[in-house]
Amino acid sequence: MPAEPIANAGPAGSSPWALAFRDLRRNRLALAFFALFVLIVAFVLAAPLWADHVADTGPNATHTLERITVDGERRDVVNPEGRPIDPVWFGAGGKFFLGADSRLGRDEMVRVMYGGRVSLFICIVAALITTVLATTFALLAGYFRGATDSVISRTMDVIWAFPVLLLAIALGLVLAVGGLQIGPLHISGSSIWIPILVIGFVSIPYMARPLRGEVLSLREKEFVEAAEAQGAGPLRVMFGELLPNLSSTIIVFFTLNVATNMLLESALSFLGVGVQPPNASWGSMIATGNELITSAPLLTIIPGTMILLTALSLNVIGDGLRDALDSKSKVRLEAHAGMAESKGTSV
Amino acid sequence: MRKLGLVLIVLALAASSALGLAACGSSSSAKEGGTLTGSYASFPEYLDPGLNYSAEGTTAMYNTYIPLLTYAHANGLEGSKLVPGLAESLPEISDDGKTYTLNLRKGLKYSDGTPVKASDFPATIERDFKISSPGSAFFEGIVGATEFAEGKQDSIAGIKANDKTGEIVIKLVNPRSTFSNELGMLFAAPLPAGTPAKSLTANPAPATGPYEIVKVEPGRSWSYVRNPQWDKSNGRLMPDLPGGHVDKIDISVIRNDSTQVNEVEQGKTDWMQPPPPADRYAEVKDKYEGTQFRVEPTVSTYYFWMNMKKAPFDDLKVRQAVNYAVNTDALERIYAGQMLASHQILPEGMPGHEPFDLYPHDMAKAKELIAEADPSDRDITVWTNNESPNDEAGAYYQELLNELGFNAKLKIINADNFLPVIGDQSTEDLDTGWFNWFEDYPHPNSFFQPLLSGESIVPTFNFNLSQTDVPELNAKIARLNEVPLEAEQEKEYAELDREFMELAPWAPFGTRTTSLFVSSAIDFDKVIWNPTFNADLSSFQFK
Repeated sequence: MPAEPIANAGPAGSSPWALAFRDLRRNRLALAFFALFVLIVAFVLAAPLWADHVADTGPNATHTLERITVDGERRDVVNPEGRPIDPVWFGAGGKFFLGADSRLGRDEMVRVMYGGRVSLFICIVAALITTVLATTFALLAGYFRGATDSVISRTMDVIWAFPVLLLAIALGLVLAVGGLQIGPLHISGSSIWIPILVIGFVSIPYMARPLRGEVLSLREKEFVEAAEAQGAGPLRVMFGELLPNLSSTIIVFFTLNVATNMLLESALSFLGVGVQPPNASWGSMIATGNELITSAPLLTIIPGTMILLTALSLNVIGDGLRDALDSKSKVRLEAHAGMAESKGTSV
Repeated sequence: MRKLGLVLIVLALAASSALGLAACGSSSSAKEGGTLTGSYASFPEYLDPGLNYSAEGTTAMYNTYIPLLTYAHANGLEGSKLVPGLAESLPEISDDGKTYTLNLRKGLKYSDGTPVKASDFPATIERDFKISSPGSAFFEGIVGATEFAEGKQDSIAGIKANDKTGEIVIKLVNPRSTFSNELGMLFAAPLPAGTPAKSLTANPAPATGPYEIVKVEPGRSWSYVRNPQWDKSNGRLMPDLPGGHVDKIDISVIRNDSTQVNEVEQGKTDWMQPPPPADRYAEVKDKYEGTQFRVEPTVSTYYFWMNMKKAPFDDLKVRQAVNYAVNTDALERIYAGQMLASHQILPEGMPGHEPFDLYPHDMAKAKELIAEADPSDRDITVWTNNESPNDEAGAYYQELLNELGFNAKLKIINADNFLPVIGDQSTEDLDTGWFNWFEDYPHPNSFFQPLLSGESIVPTFNFNLSQTDVPELNAKIARLNEVPLEAEQEKEYAELDREFMELAPWAPFGTRTTSLFVSSAIDFDKVIWNPTFNADLSSFQFK
């Protein structure tokens, strides 16, 4: 029978998760940013609806030579000098709401929505890959220690030794040309799975090392000894006893990792080694907009703001979760509150 | 007293009118001397005439290294005229077209004072082979050049130079009508015998032209000063070549081309080598056209190539359909108005160019042809590079192919690796893609031979991307290259252009324009734009 997670000692009758949820609900800042994140997700999920029923175009459809009627006036989507149309808001019934993205005359609003889906998908899936692999490596290294720990830890050190962005750029560049062959599975260089795997891979040490430290500490606890005394094998101990006690840390790391991935994906796509054109991501949209930053700054500002808001909201949510789930920080907070109370009494 | 007063008034009027005239006409007020400042967006690949193959480097070395033959310092077609450089006259060509005889002008000196000798010419060509110069391919047709390149001979047997008389005799394996043009390339500009067989970018070789390159900081800047030998000897011996107006030229690398625009506007820089960025092109054009800015043509063709040896482009109807589908108007906008629509191989400005359009834009006809062809293989990879707006042109082309019913994937390669990747025949999925070609010299063969002749198909660094190999047209290219380019041959080249377009190996879409943008301190009207070398630094003069 798995041991109950030992974190979050609270009033009798409340599970640690219930206590964490209670604390999280009290954190208004985290809740506000959680609401913002939900809005962003809803916004990008609505992309097909907007594209089909309002903008009447796809994210990669070009409209270079088209003309649209804006408030009764006929205007070029891209003028003869190659300048894309500025935001027309609802002047053309929702078409080109945020203007056109480039000299190809693609609808900026549609691309922001679809680009957001791509960015969020990459960040979340890459974070899942990182989390699964990092947790597995941390459990193996922390539980078995010795040679297993040495091999895993030194491998992590080697990956860690490379600046994360440089490593990701190098991998992205190599894989963007030839793609990736994993056994019988071939991933094309232009596939969205290339940035996902690159980002997922380079982030592993950043999660695996602190988790390993926690496993090393947990495996000395009595509940591990008790499980082993009852005949539990290594797999059972790792995944049945240790993993549940790591879950709160993993959740916090996962949330913060999604935020970090958002920035990394943007940087890679901006540098041309992330999401491959014509597909949009917020990072690649900044790169496209950068060409016209003087004459059409909104093309850079809009996807940049989306990245900012998403990364910020995920960071604040992550901090909120950490405060709610981390027993040590909770103890610190309670001790701090207790001191304040006792001071008040004495006065 | 009255008379004296009258004389004084007349003198005063004459003086003031003279001053007034001087103030009005730029030509009469233009001054000699001063320091010209210029900016490049990136440092040229090489400041070594044996190694440079970039437009930026060609502009940078036009007035420093003079070949035996060179191009007139003039605008437009006049600037495509081959004129004697270090040689006394144009070459004497034997009846069989295989022997070229030239005579070096007597008394020429390099900027370090070393006399220019006839034997420097074979030494220069041999150096090209030793340093694996991209220009060495142009001289492989010289008798004994291949043996020299393979290390079987110590010198190129087909070049004889006599230092006493200055005579240079070059023997070719086969007649080659482009050879005079090739002698006018910087690769053939004589350097002192014994010049090290390595890149001299950081420490450039001594010059024969009016300027020498000094103070090079690779990646950052370089400067020119007047060649001390120009006034003493070279300038007098080559009176048809300009000696330049300014005393010094300082060029610096400014990566951000918008900053370059600002600096030219503020007069901090007198000339920017790249055109203004697309973002500011219209603004600069509106503000300064005719006074500080002008659009200049290039002799280039931008096109989408289609691999004739692979499905679905092995079908003529598919290639023709793509040609009908490509809309040059859209591509003009994608290239921000810096593209002149054209639907043929030879660009305007190239001898043999006769405008025609076999495939005016017609999407319905394109779809009809695709329906007739009904290709079974519809999975296509579209290749382009990551330089803007070439990437956007690739994205446009991909969308177009999808509209025609294909399943096109876009593959964008870093511009530095683009040709090594798509020119390597072992690369998979070389179906179709974007490419461009600028003239090496004003001869139509510089388009047909490397890009469309079956002989040019090679395993790596292959420029014949469409894999065009039509025996009759190969033979025609070879035959035309054996005879000098006269009006009759120009007509045949125009026919060849049409014959190739009937086979539609490419969907050409235009000729790129570039621009000249200078500060208000420069005498704008006097600046020469040579079609091969672009901005002629010897023509820059302060008002």
